[in-house]
Amino acid sequence: MKKNVFLFVFFLCLLTSLGIYGFQGGKSATGTQKQEKPNIIVKSRQVIKPDNKNQNKLHAKCTLNCKTCHYCEYPTKKNPCLIYCPRDGMVTVFHTPEECPEVITLDEMSVRFGAVVFSHKIHAEMSQMSNGCQGCHHYNTTGPVLACRKCHEQTRIRKDLNKVDLKGAYHRQCMTCHRQWSHTTDCNFCHISKVPNHKQKIQEKIIQISGKEHPKTVEPNKLVFETSYKKGKFVTFYHEDHIKVFNVACNKCHWDENCITCHDPNNKLTHGAKGKNISIKTKKTFDEHHAPCNNCHKQDHCNVCHNDKELEAWDHFKVTKFELKPHHDKLACTKCHERTSKFQKLNSDCNSCHKNFKPGKFNHNVVALKLSDNHADLACESCHVKSRFKDKPVCKECHDDKEFPKSLPGEKIAKKKK
Amino acid sequence: METNSNSHSRRHFIKNVAALGAGVVATSANQAVAAPANILSEDRKGVLVDTTVCIGCRNCEWACKKSHDKESGNIEEYSDRSVFKQFRRPSAATYTVVNEFSNPKNPALPINVKVQCMHCDRPACVSACIVGALSKYEDGSTIWDPVKCIGCRYCMVACSFQIPTFDYNKAIEPNINKCDFCNERRKAGKLPACVDICPVEALVFGTRSEIIKIAREKIQRNPERYINHIYGENEVSGTSWVYLAGRNFYELGFPKLGFKHAPGVSEAIQHGIFAYFVPPVMFYSLLGTMMWIYKRREEFNKEAELAEELELQSEPESEVEEL
Repeated sequence: MKKNVFLFVFFLCLLTSLGIYGFQGGKSATGTQKQEKPNIIVKSRQVIKPDNKNQNKLHAKCTLNCKTCHYCEYPTKKNPCLIYCPRDGMVTVFHTPEECPEVITLDEMSVRFGAVVFSHKIHAEMSQMSNGCQGCHHYNTTGPVLACRKCHEQTRIRKDLNKVDLKGAYHRQCMTCHRQWSHTTDCNFCHISKVPNHKQKIQEKIIQISGKEHPKTVEPNKLVFETSYKKGKFVTFYHEDHIKVFNVACNKCHWDENCITCHDPNNKLTHGAKGKNISIKTKKTFDEHHAPCNNCHKQDHCNVCHNDKELEAWDHFKVTKFELKPHHDKLACTKCHERTSKFQKLNSDCNSCHKNFKPGKFNHNVVALKLSDNHADLACESCHVKSRFKDKPVCKECHDDKEFPKSLPGEKIAKKKK
Repeated sequence: METNSNSHSRRHFIKNVAALGAGVVATSANQAVAAPANILSEDRKGVLVDTTVCIGCRNCEWACKKSHDKESGNIEEYSDRSVFKQFRRPSAATYTVVNEFSNPKNPALPINVKVQCMHCDRPACVSACIVGALSKYEDGSTIWDPVKCIGCRYCMVACSFQIPTFDYNKAIEPNINKCDFCNERRKAGKLPACVDICPVEALVFGTRSEIIKIAREKIQRNPERYINHIYGENEVSGTSWVYLAGRNFYELGFPKLGFKHAPGVSEAIQHGIFAYFVPPVMFYSLLGTMMWIYKRREEFNKEAELAEELELQSEPESEVEEL
């Protein structure tokens, strides 16, 4: 009898446990059926900067990489698969720092902290060495320059999570630089604390900033870099010549200058050119490091820049005995010299390049001087003795009292653009 | 006769149970049984942490403490960066901490990494908890229940990320401390405290599928800025919190983990041994059968012995009689 009771209880237990497990198993099966989709591996891609000339043409013909704006292979009108706010090459509006607002008070979201008085003009001046306006105003196709709040929403609970909210947008712009050289994330560095006389403090700050300008950057004449390259330790860089002789715009090389190049980590302002206290060096790849030079010196050998000793400034006259001034100094080198591995020596006679410089055919307007009617029919040699066009023309053959360039055989005109 | 009929019915019962068990096993695939229903819901939430954006202001630490009624102090004290000298872990005092790592590309821009519970899709702590004090919910969160917890600290051992911590300083009712994904705040329609306060929006809260899409797009657009790895997308078969970085994650204090979920092996063994109670039933029925056979054999032997004895007893009697 006892055996029977025990068996009955055992049987009951078995059945109930079976029931429970079976039930749970079924439930979890439905849960695990919803599997994640397989991963798609993302390949990196290059973004090409747009060609300004093509901005007005049909955008499909534009030299912009399609993937700057579209994320899928074949965008259609129905499904353009547009990337939100493309960053590269989307700015066509440029202003000088002087045209910008001087001071901007950012106070639309001051909940915990007070407003920020932002010295816009000073920052605009600094940004000229680092990406320019588009460093911050990264999306501005046409029309007036947009403020951050035009695109970035003020609320963090929002539909479009791709685009950072306004608070994030502001802080990302400021903090990337500010924490580099001040080494702090102290809120009160920018924010005016919420004290009872908050508004008065804002006014005081505005007055304090107004009229201030970023000190002019000291442009060095010459820089000598000591490098670790064994076959040529020194690189002599004639900074001034690159600006004045070769007409290189500042941001051609200084397009992504780091804040700490000028503002040292100890929060003291130093001038980048002197750069004594700067201890922090950002690590760059070989290509990144040489990019400012390589943009122009693409095909040059290392030893064009690297040398055992300091190099003298390059001078066209000293090297070639051909003075570039006044007609040739604004020309690009490749305008005359064919670009092979090395610049070839050219014949310095005008006729060797200027094929149209022939008697009767020469259009004198090219040299910005329109000959008067009575001079126009004269033979070239009448003024340019022995066809040496480099020398000063002579007037004394006909005019006793006249001398070039005091008096001219015609009127000066604007130089014809080639 | 009576014993015979009894053993007959038992044999039938074992046979039936075995057949039933086999049927159940055959019909349902081998799924993890301890996992709650629909934890891989499409709407489950997550947070994307972009470590290339984080500035290490530690405002999240302050907000976390504040929202969980812990001693938080003044927010201005949190801009002190000397704490970064030591590698820190979440503790009973704070559910989240920010650590700092050097940036080989630019020493002036160190990499800051926020650490908190990852809220795994398949949490090891939930699997390890013997009383069900830790549960995984459909919204992506893994939450500890103080009422059920017995303080065994199995969860602390089980966690792949070393997240749950114990109130060693409290003698009475010590707690297990772990990020609760700001359950109370989210119920009230607010964002988690850390996400809400982050000044640079390095933390993005959204559905997990959406934040992973955002992360992929970020990598696609800035291949120089990010490494092609979303930490937590596949690690331990996915976590609700996922990370982006510009440097190898294993150099940023993240553990190197496989793509299989952590409770996989242990649950497989456990659920294998007790799968729908079939193996134990089989085991005990085997034992039972063996016992029954042995017993029967014993009975037969006894009967035989008895018969022999009887024969032996009768024989000497006859001998005696003969004698």
